Amino acid sequence: MRKSLSIGFVLLTLSFTLLLGQKKSWVIGMSQCNLGEPWRVQMNADVKKGAEGYPELTVVFKDAQNDNLRQRAHLEEFVRAGVDLIIVSPKEAAPLTAPVRDAYKNGIPVIVLDRRVLGEDYTCFIGADNKKIGAAAGRWVVTKLGGKGSVAELKGLMTSTPGQDRHSGFREGIKGSGINVIFEADMKWLEPNARKEMESALARFSDLDLVYAHNDPGAHGAYLAARAAGREKQMLFIGIDALPQEGQMYVKQGIMAASFEYPTGGREAIETALRIFHGEKVQKEMTLSSRFFTKENIDKGGELLTN
Amino acid sequence: MAPSLRYFLQSPTTRAGLSLILVLLVGVVFNAGGSFFEWGTHRDMLRQISVYGILACGMSLVVISGGIDLAVGSVMALGAVVFSLLTIHLQWNGLLAAGVTVAVGSACGVLVGWVIARFKVQPFIATLAMMVFARGAAKLISGGEKISTAVQTADGSYEYASVPSSFQFLDARVLGGNVAVVTLVLIVCVILCWLFLSQTVWGRRFYAIGGNEEAAWYSGVPVNRMKILSYTLSGLFCAVAGMCQAGQEVQGDPETGVGYELTAIAMVVIGGTTLRGGRGTMGLTVLGILIIGSLEKILSINAVGEETRLVLTGIIIVAAVLFQGTRS
Repeated sequence: MRKSLSIGFVLLTLSFTLLLGQKKSWVIGMSQCNLGEPWRVQMNADVKKGAEGYPELTVVFKDAQNDNLRQRAHLEEFVRAGVDLIIVSPKEAAPLTAPVRDAYKNGIPVIVLDRRVLGEDYTCFIGADNKKIGAAAGRWVVTKLGGKGSVAELKGLMTSTPGQDRHSGFREGIKGSGINVIFEADMKWLEPNARKEMESALARFSDLDLVYAHNDPGAHGAYLAARAAGREKQMLFIGIDALPQEGQMYVKQGIMAASFEYPTGGREAIETALRIFHGEKVQKEMTLSSRFFTKENIDKGGELLTN
Repeated sequence: MAPSLRYFLQSPTTRAGLSLILVLLVGVVFNAGGSFFEWGTHRDMLRQISVYGILACGMSLVVISGGIDLAVGSVMALGAVVFSLLTIHLQWNGLLAAGVTVAVGSACGVLVGWVIARFKVQPFIATLAMMVFARGAAKLISGGEKISTAVQTADGSYEYASVPSSFQFLDARVLGGNVAVVTLVLIVCVILCWLFLSQTVWGRRFYAIGGNEEAAWYSGVPVNRMKILSYTLSGLFCAVAGMCQAGQEVQGDPETGVGYELTAIAMVVIGGTTLRGGRGTMGLTVLGILIIGSLEKILSINAVGEETRLVLTGIIIVAAVLFQGTRS
């Protein structure tokens, strides 16, 4: 009797929740700073995919095309339209702090993705740690090369935070080992530049063991340069980001030895949004865990990085 | 000084040649442990500037006939995307795909040339519009993503297509591995432009309308048609450059070629062709291509930081132009 009562209670609760779920629907405004980069296209795709299983969610996407003021206008439009939640991946911290604060003060929960805003006026920040990923790449190189060797580093852009962190993290990871970075150059995240810089590295040094590029297209460009010189078998290529159509594909094809994921947080943003909608408390800061892919583990979906 | 020697020293070709020698001397001093003296370094430089050089060929024609084409980088991206879509996704024959790509690039040129000639829109404005339009078209047909050998299927997973033979051909090297195919493409483009400008009546008409449009019109030159022709040829070379870019990147990137128009213009101008039109030769453009290419290579093999590179490049461009133009 008690058992059937409790089952009945559970069923009642369930149907009630379902009913509520059907009745209530939410609109999420997603403001992306720039869709020119594949990684950001992937972020939007992850948000879309995360929301797919929930018919009660509608996501409105806006692309600010790398323009702070346009992104500011998008946030203001979302507030005026009365969306239930805003996900924003801001272009720059300072110019977008005020619009994010305005939305937050208007009672709209704001999830900040990947890049930060200043102060505390947002609901939740979700991001990955470039420095940790760079350090993990460094430690992986030390193990892989047996503690000594010559490395060329193709840097993203040293005036950007991801570039600085991927650089300093990597240096931390190889500290104390016999790994020497004998060539470094800015390739501005672009494959043709990486290829050009790598050609110079190849012309100058005959004893490169590994190329560490700050993103996977950079590693691929370096590989193309080495292949043109007939030296692609003499060295390893690693990079960061591990998008399915870039880094993961290159690892699968044997072009890159490893790719380290820089997660977009798109799926986690939707999960967090749902918890906010259901009245749960969410933590202010979420650091995403990251995976790495090598030839050995790629078919199993990569391995989690440990700190 | 003998008049013939003075004439020789004052000719733009001599000056551009001297600029190139100066740049090369810098390379001899800063030779990065001897790598400047290896042929491989220069072969790679020639590969790397080929795409820019092909754009500069079309740009020379437009500039000589008194115009300017800001759309070359975008139209090139459109070419790269179209070529990749046709060869990788639709698996067309490379030659057929190349034909369609060239037609698309030329069509962009016809359109912008027609707007300039028919409605008397300033070339700067009209090609600026085409620059935005072609970039948008490239993103539109590629869905905003790079067209690579990773082909997305309906369920969101990726299948991996093989690299088309046309891509492998474009990224190969010939003549005992000493010359990249894209460099040969550049050389062919240069020769075609040189023949066009110096040996045909159309070439002479380009100089005529660039020098004095009104005078050319009174002497019976079909000004509008010549203008359209110049932008059409520029669009055609953009498409060729786009295919070379796609072949080397093993993908068609709708974001490729941003800022390439400025490099192409710099190559034309550094050679000594004036932006006022009516003057200049392909030889000068070739020298301009080599000056910029060598300069970049020297900075690169010495691993000079990006900040310093930009500062130095700015100074050297101004210096070269002053050296060119003071007593023209």
